[in-house]
Amino acid sequence: MDKTQILENLAHAAIEGDEDLARESAEQALSNQIDPLEAVEQGLSKGMAVVGARFESGEAFLPELLMAAGAFDAAMEILQPEIEAQKKEITKLGTVLIGTVKGDVHSIGKNVVATVLGTSGFDVVDIGVDNATLDIIQEAKKAKADVIALSSLMTTTMPAQREVIEVLEEMSLRDKFLVMVGGGPVNQEWADEIGADGYGKSAVQAAEVARRLLGREG
Amino acid sequence: MLNFLDIFERALQGPIMTEQDFDMKVFVPTLRKIVKEYGIRYDKENPVPSNDDQADNLFEAAVALMEQVGVYCQDTNRVIQFGREEILEAVKEAPGRCWAGEGKESGVFGMRKPDDRKVPWLHVGSGIVSTAEEMMTNLIEAYGSIAEADSISISALDSVRGIPVMAGSPVEIYAAIRGIKIGREALRRAGRPGLPIMNLISTAAAAVTTIAASAPQFGLRPTDGWLVGAISELKIDFGAMNKTAYLLNWGANVGAESSPILGGYCGGPAGTAVVSTAYFLMGLLVQRGSYQLTFPVHFRHGCSTTRDVLWTVSASCQAASRNIPMPVIWLGYIAGGPNTKMYFYEAAAHLLSAVTSGAPSVQTPHPAKAVKVDGITPMEAKLGVELATAASKLDRGQANELVLRLLEKYESQIDAAPTGSTYQECYDLATGRPSQEYLRLCAEVREELAGIGIPLE
Repeated sequence: MDKTQILENLAHAAIEGDEDLARESAEQALSNQIDPLEAVEQGLSKGMAVVGARFESGEAFLPELLMAAGAFDAAMEILQPEIEAQKKEITKLGTVLIGTVKGDVHSIGKNVVATVLGTSGFDVVDIGVDNATLDIIQEAKKAKADVIALSSLMTTTMPAQREVIEVLEEMSLRDKFLVMVGGGPVNQEWADEIGADGYGKSAVQAAEVARRLLGREG
Repeated sequence: MLNFLDIFERALQGPIMTEQDFDMKVFVPTLRKIVKEYGIRYDKENPVPSNDDQADNLFEAAVALMEQVGVYCQDTNRVIQFGREEILEAVKEAPGRCWAGEGKESGVFGMRKPDDRKVPWLHVGSGIVSTAEEMMTNLIEAYGSIAEADSISISALDSVRGIPVMAGSPVEIYAAIRGIKIGREALRRAGRPGLPIMNLISTAAAAVTTIAASAPQFGLRPTDGWLVGAISELKIDFGAMNKTAYLLNWGANVGAESSPILGGYCGGPAGTAVVSTAYFLMGLLVQRGSYQLTFPVHFRHGCSTTRDVLWTVSASCQAASRNIPMPVIWLGYIAGGPNTKMYFYEAAAHLLSAVTSGAPSVQTPHPAKAVKVDGITPMEAKLGVELATAASKLDRGQANELVLRLLEKYESQIDAAPTGSTYQECYDLATGRPSQEYLRLCAEVREELAGIGIPLE
């Protein structure tokens, strides 16, 4: 099998969310002496971009997105050790700590944003739902996060987004993290009011905003 | 029939797995398999389908889903599982009616079938957030004054003495108790103190708030209705189960609440219709609902009025009303806000779809995706009641034609829907009366809707 076909298969594996094909194609890439970074960038990532675009346009849904991410991870389990062995690095755009704020157990929107960020080149630390303010800050410190992304689906949990920013200021840590907010009732006006650095209406927009905040546009 | 403690035991003893595995290794593949096996297909040309066999087939698919997937308990990381016979027994033994309200406002909220000419149980109002007690009082009084209303949802306060309500905090308890007192007082002002409040407790995210504010001295009665929410998709937690435990001990009406998300784990409309129907089985088995409140929404758009969600509403409403004796309140989230024509086009589409598909009850739909603070007025409820009554004079085929015409008016604007005005911008806060401009807009849109063939009196 030639290089072009292997790269196409890696992209196809992501598009179809086929973990077996992803592993098989990753093995073939290595046995055919294909640069593992090229396998990621010209194969897997291209497939992920297709799924991301389909998701954004409404042609694909959350399961397709998560299955694509599963195939991506399956291939990376094989490619990553070789990338490290060659002392190469995948360019990471930054680390995002993401979680739903205190009192809110809604996870689906947050999961989508985490997945899109992860497949857009960010390191993502997902701390789940119903997180106390101080826990969020401690986890962000531990993860050496560049961005804290806060999700809230209820109007009664939105104040907890403001609280994270206020506590960061109280602890003199506000300049250490960029803060993004999102969720059903959240909008740009709210983000401005509480002094957040960014707001994304959709997962893809959130990734664009994170990229912009970190000066990694283009 | 299994009782609630049996369910709790299963939450302690069922198969253990991570939530991610439940979502991606159990829920998603099983749902996909069932959609294929049962041949569930979305028909974009007919947002209100008229095929009873397909409705019954959708019910069978939902039973298969509940049997093969079960319900995930987030606190124990275990799956509550049911056998097919247990599911069917719960359906067979369901009473199919709910007693609600007191005195002259008491009534039996029962079932309807597709194409039923009986007017549905009319549920008015909103659980969205108000910034002022005076406005909340005016709103609830106005809802209660709608003569046709059988039950009501009341708003939630966003702050107490200037302190923002935070979920699970003491101020949430203060706000919940205050909200209930305002609600009852406003209904007295409307001359209908017995009208059942069926979205309890709208301010309460935490079970402790629900239980605290339900103490009878604050004005609630077992004939009101409390919402116990499922977590999307097919999940529950101890917070919800604690509410059920308390309410069952009291003998109060439990409203099993569900909001299947099209575009989320359910995938497209076919999968969402199966899950939407399965939620009524979960409502009977797990939340122990004497009624259900459901609002399927679109993941991307946050509303219930896209073409695919309307089909999901209609298909699962037909499946449930023909096969599951659970009185359901169907609620629509509307993209357009108050004081926009788009709101009324969307509301009409949702009410026509649900009522002709056999909805036992409809709630007057929430404007601006239910997230605009103060973004609701009594006018939506007044016209909503008229639209629901008109819809009960039509069959599914007629509704389908009308919904297609309504979609032509708003479908292309869903993504950038106008969020409209606040209550204060449309109504005089002191007198509780609408502005002349708002009255004109409502008269115009009413005439327009009658003009396309909706039989408004």
